[in-house]
Amino acid sequence: MVFIIGGAYQGKLTYAKAAFDLAPEDIFTCNGTQIDFGKRCVRSIEEFTLACVQAGADAVAYFAAHREQWEDSILICRDIFCGVVPLGAENRAWRQETGRLCRYLSAEAGRVVRIFCGLEQRLK
Amino acid sequence: MTVLISGGSKSGKSLLAQELTLRLANGGKRYYVATMIPADEEDRARIRRHLAEREGMGFETLECGRDLSAALQTAQPDAAFLLDSTTALLMNVLFPDPVSCETDTDAAARCADELVAFARSVRHAVIVSDSLYADAAHYDGSTEVFRRSLARIDRALAAVCDVVIEAAAGNFTIHKGELPL
Repeated sequence: MVFIIGGAYQGKLTYAKAAFDLAPEDIFTCNGTQIDFGKRCVRSIEEFTLACVQAGADAVAYFAAHREQWEDSILICRDIFCGVVPLGAENRAWRQETGRLCRYLSAEAGRVVRIFCGLEQRLK
Repeated sequence: MTVLISGGSKSGKSLLAQELTLRLANGGKRYYVATMIPADEEDRARIRRHLAEREGMGFETLECGRDLSAALQTAQPDAAFLLDSTTALLMNVLFPDPVSCETDTDAAARCADELVAFARSVRHAVIVSDSLYADAAHYDGSTEVFRRSLARIDRALAAVCDVVIEAAAGNFTIHKGELPL
């Protein structure tokens, strides 16, 4: 699995499309608590974790339960960790759960890439 | 040589940018492209502080609130330019009326093209931007337009600049190229 992180609008998906020859039908954009791991690339994982927080679901447990389905996937999550502590409790929980999932995915990944201004930085 | 420096606020971007510009100028002509349009006394104090910091460095100031090409018209292209920052320039261009917060996205696109043309046409340039993409928030429409526009400028500049540097607490990660000796 390749795990790609980076701030908003840094070019994470553009990088993934070019590096792994992805077509639009290969990409699943998260917008709830369910993920279609049939797609080679899963992006906006931070929206999945937000939905999990709102639904009281455990994002890491969900990924762990589907482990064999994303072993060869390209997973993309936005870096949401460098701002001030959010005032709202939901946003704090969102940041907490996204961070927990990112550490889990980084540990599981064969390669971790951070995208900065469209440029690749290899973290693992 | 062209250098893009980005990173969080107060991370040492401007100080590094000044140092690199002086190094690139190597005793020759150097310009400071000033991008802030002061709105109040706080802004004017900040400008005075920056002017004092640059005193004795030999920069000629080019005022560039909105129109980069006009500001550069009389400048010598073989000089070394310090542009600090794309963030302020885009703010002026994207929000022409700071009260209404209406966005002029055409002007923002022109501004991006002008910055890329600038980086391609001058001999030496050090350009400072800001990384404001990694916090846990969902913003309103015009703020997202601003972030997206600034990131587009960053990515376009990163593609054409020789060196791309990220600053964090006075430490520097080189993402592309090599620092000038």
